[in-house]
Amino acid sequence: MIPARSLPHFLANKSRIRVFGLDFDDCIRVFFGGNAVISIIVLALITYFLFREGAGFFGQNYRNLAVYRQAGLEYVDYLRAQQDDHTALTRYLSDLRVRQFASDLRQKMSPAEANAALAGFDDFAGKFSDTVEPLRTLVSDLTEQASAIKTKFTVMEDKQEERRQLLAEGKSAEAAKVVIQPVDFAAELKPITGTLPAYRETNSEFARQVERVLAQAPALATADLQARLDRFKQLTRAYLAGFPAIVARLEAWDYTKPVPRRQAFTSFLFGREWLTASFWQDWYGILPLLAGSIMVSLVALLLSVPLAVGAAVYVNQFATRAEQRFIKPCIEFISAFPSVVLGFFGIAVLGQALRSVSQVSWLSWIPGFPYSERLNILTAGCLLALIAIPTIFTLAEDALNNVPRAFTEASFALGATRLQTVVRIIVPASLSGIISAVLLGLGRVIGETMVVLLCAGNRIAIPDFTAGLAVIAQPVHTMTGIIAQEMGEVVQGGIHYRALFVVGLVLFFLSVGINYVAQRIVRRYRISIG
Amino acid sequence: MSPSAAILRHEFQTQPTAARRREKGIFLLFRAATYFILLCGGLILGTIVYKGAGTVFQLRPPFLNVTFLTAAPESLHVFEYQGRKMELGDHDYRAFEAQHPEVKQAKAASYVYSAGGIFPCIAGTVLLVIGSISIALTLGVFAAIYLNEYARDGRFIRFVRLAILNLAGVPSIVFGLFGFGMFVIFFGWNVSLIAGWFTLAFMVLPVVITASEESLKAVPKGFREGSLALGATRWQTIRKNVLPYALPGILTSSILGIARVAGETAPIMFTAAYVVRDKLPWEVQHAMDFFFQGVMALPYHIYVVSSKIPQNEYTERVQYGTALIFLLIVALIAASSIILRYRLRDRHKW
Repeated sequence: MIPARSLPHFLANKSRIRVFGLDFDDCIRVFFGGNAVISIIVLALITYFLFREGAGFFGQNYRNLAVYRQAGLEYVDYLRAQQDDHTALTRYLSDLRVRQFASDLRQKMSPAEANAALAGFDDFAGKFSDTVEPLRTLVSDLTEQASAIKTKFTVMEDKQEERRQLLAEGKSAEAAKVVIQPVDFAAELKPITGTLPAYRETNSEFARQVERVLAQAPALATADLQARLDRFKQLTRAYLAGFPAIVARLEAWDYTKPVPRRQAFTSFLFGREWLTASFWQDWYGILPLLAGSIMVSLVALLLSVPLAVGAAVYVNQFATRAEQRFIKPCIEFISAFPSVVLGFFGIAVLGQALRSVSQVSWLSWIPGFPYSERLNILTAGCLLALIAIPTIFTLAEDALNNVPRAFTEASFALGATRLQTVVRIIVPASLSGIISAVLLGLGRVIGETMVVLLCAGNRIAIPDFTAGLAVIAQPVHTMTGIIAQEMGEVVQGGIHYRALFVVGLVLFFLSVGINYVAQRIVRRYRISIG
Repeated sequence: MSPSAAILRHEFQTQPTAARRREKGIFLLFRAATYFILLCGGLILGTIVYKGAGTVFQLRPPFLNVTFLTAAPESLHVFEYQGRKMELGDHDYRAFEAQHPEVKQAKAASYVYSAGGIFPCIAGTVLLVIGSISIALTLGVFAAIYLNEYARDGRFIRFVRLAILNLAGVPSIVFGLFGFGMFVIFFGWNVSLIAGWFTLAFMVLPVVITASEESLKAVPKGFREGSLALGATRWQTIRKNVLPYALPGILTSSILGIARVAGETAPIMFTAAYVVRDKLPWEVQHAMDFFFQGVMALPYHIYVVSSKIPQNEYTERVQYGTALIFLLIVALIAASSIILRYRLRDRHKW
């Protein structure tokens, strides 16, 4: 063969068209490489766009909090909290009445008799609930004044925005015509803070009234209920003892005190309230949503892990070949169930069915049973478990499959039974794989949207953990659910819109983190056999 | 021990001790867990098939409820007329009302989306799936070829693989947010088919890449070496000696991606889906409008009918019917993938 060097230049480079110094093969290589990079680009773009839309949230939230203070909403909220605490105490009393009434009925009293017997108690409860009236009047006045200030401020901001836009469009004449009325917070707040002496008087009178009413508390029939009444008295005393602190806080309150910068973050990360489109003040705290997501995922994992791992062990170790060929595709088929169909099933069938089961009398020992909310943590958790099962099953089965035969054979040779081999050898050897399977299942469950949106009950509140295990019967809202539900209704670029993107960002990092840990565990603890 | 049993037993046969019985019990527990899962899946499928069959099928020919499959959703009006209970879709109701004006006085209840059919939703879902899977397959197969055929193990490739793994773990609603932020707002495509395509395509990209790589790996090394030894370039080798053998596997495994695309609701909620749209997707004035229109989609329609309208005997039909059709479509796709894959696994022995 003729060496290439001896050929004329144009012949040696036949079909070697060079673009930027790359020949045809290199071009193809680069083109394919470019496609491979797309996943990095997409990941980067997701991060970028979530940040781009979400980043403005903290600035806006800061202004939101600043206005809350400047317009005196914070001041009024101290009083509102006092009033709300009183309402909670009143509710405690009415709960007590319901219990007493029920116990009376159990003792073969007619409803009329029971009501008559409770007349003294009702009188007491009524008097107690009336004590708050003067405070309530004051609070409702102040509420109106404070929201008026806030409205003025928002109007001013809108006008400023209007002028800015007109100026940007070059319409200076129109811009000059926009009347901006500045808000003088000091003057506006005077009527609110001016009520302090009146409040002090109302407050001490209020405390005296509560004391007096408390002294007239009737005795209750059973020891259990009496204990509850004593607890009520205790709570009320604690409530009264908190009064001076409230007064001190009101006295110290100053609208000029700047809101700390970090509060824009802390009020989001540790905020216990997610309250939007309210007439008073919007709160964007992620805790209720996070708690909801975690609770639902926990229930789902508790249900799915034993089932999925058990099934994986069974299919891998005990099942006949025919059984394997039947079960594996079936479970894969379950993974193809669209989540929205599962959610629909939850609404249409499962919620009702679970509630009926909970009301069966001999099951009442299960915590939380019977319950009345059809859609709650349990309903969503059951369906999410079905979503997690195929993921966990497939990956756990893979992990079990990867255990070298020699391990099993050695165990049998030493005289171990099948079960001993499975429990002592195979499962521990594949534990890292199983753990990562569970983690990936968790990632799948925590990012699931449609099931929780349809079946978790959508009540935005931190579940009441004092109920113990009965907490699973409460409705919650989740991070994924809130995005899906509210994204369609928000003003683009507004604080609420940006808050949803920040929730998305939290979700993104949470699931990527879980995923990453799962991968690490697999790689780190993979058994290697020489 | 009875004499006959003594004959059947031999010396090495296992004795039923308490420990063995316990072991058997524990096996049974594992088995119960397995079949419990299948039972749950079967129950859900069964309920939807049982209740939805009444809407989708009928007893007289052509046995399929053609209206339900070919008409657009309508409101259902339920009213009493001359002592009889009438149920009419919006269109028929208006015609009826024109003929019998006295109907207006009758007490009528109406339920949105509960009459008519779901054809626009089926059409929208099909369009979404075709578009997004084309994009995902193109990008995914090329990426897989690079990763399996060209790439040398190194820092960069490890990074790419990490990105793919992590992309697989991103929740679908986050893809929805991303698609909304990027395509709908930043690119200004509004709620449109094309925005939905790209959002869904990026979502299934990791699935397609992983599936394609598996299939490429299954092609024996000798095929490549033989071709390269004969003087073919790398690209020629891939084109003639690798891809043809890997393609069936790539396509079958990617069908699972199709099932995922068809089944997802969250990513299209704010990128492509409309609650209701009168026109069918191909009824557009300019060809370009086709890409920039929102569509109705089956999963989103299920969400709407199951959460936004009350549950009763009239609305139930459309709810279960839609769920059944949707489940059938997805199940068909998934089942074909699973069956094909098992077939392929048995056939390919190089």
